[in-house]
Amino acid sequence: MKTLLSEQQRDALQELMNISMGRAANALARLIGAKVTLSIPRIVAVTPQHFAQMLKDKDVWYTRQSFLGHIGGEVLTVLSKTGCDSIGELMDYEVPLDNETLSELLLELANILAGACLSGFAEQLGLNAKLSMPTLFFPQNQQVVQVHWASTLMMEVEFKVEASQFDSRVVICLDEIAVGILLQALNRLLE
Amino acid sequence: MPIPVTIADDSLMSRKAVRRALPPEWDVDITEACNGKEALLAVESGKAEVLFLDLTMPELDGFGVLQYLHEHHAKTVVIVISADIQPEAKRLVDALGAFRFLHKPLQAQQLRETLFEVGLI
Repeated sequence: MKTLLSEQQRDALQELMNISMGRAANALARLIGAKVTLSIPRIVAVTPQHFAQMLKDKDVWYTRQSFLGHIGGEVLTVLSKTGCDSIGELMDYEVPLDNETLSELLLELANILAGACLSGFAEQLGLNAKLSMPTLFFPQNQQVVQVHWASTLMMEVEFKVEASQFDSRVVICLDEIAVGILLQALNRLLE
Repeated sequence: MPIPVTIADDSLMSRKAVRRALPPEWDVDITEACNGKEALLAVESGKAEVLFLDLTMPELDGFGVLQYLHEHHAKTVVIVISADIQPEAKRLVDALGAFRFLHKPLQAQQLRETLFEVGLI
């Protein structure tokens, strides 16, 4: 990422992510009534190969949502299979979860986390981004994973609910056009 | 005489944001710290009558700093400025004797009101 972002831009981007993920964690913590631990956000450039690699984990569920507006891209939420029942219980679902309730739970979690992450992020940059509803997807079933960008900036944050042994990652992917717009907005903020 | 103030945050942008939000008429001598250890050094060397403290920092985090100040009965006025805004974080921060818990992004007006409440401006 060294070539794409200056040290100052990276610092600013990481701090903006920190603030938005703080909101997302707070939304989740209030929903389940348990403490959520946050990782330091990771900002990396990824190739389609890296991206495909990320979709090979059999111990997780995946949801995806696209967003449109001043910046466009896709949010991928990766949710651990372990701990889902426990989270469901905290959210007053009947456990053990059947398939239908499980997918409802996963989509709700993804929407809360991704929604708070993206809205906090866009708001601080003065950009507008509308997020679509999440859908569950199963990369294992798809022959070719549809990645429509040559290279992308990936911003990743991790949430852990230790009491439930549950963790989740929100990955925001931006294509090259969106990265350009993001950099302009960052520079305005740093002036 | 200017009041010794330390801004402890690992993000350059956030340290700048605190600087910008300080009331211009407030006579201060500012020290910057990039982690908890540097923050404690500033306290020990009398550079932090007021400490603006981030919670998530490398080396030693904000909770560690608060814990130390609490155990050593330090007189530093600590104002936490945090991206972690969960009720649990606020509860811990309160228990460790911080004066106020402000959310990022920092609002200048809110900071002014807080400083007014402590009687610093």
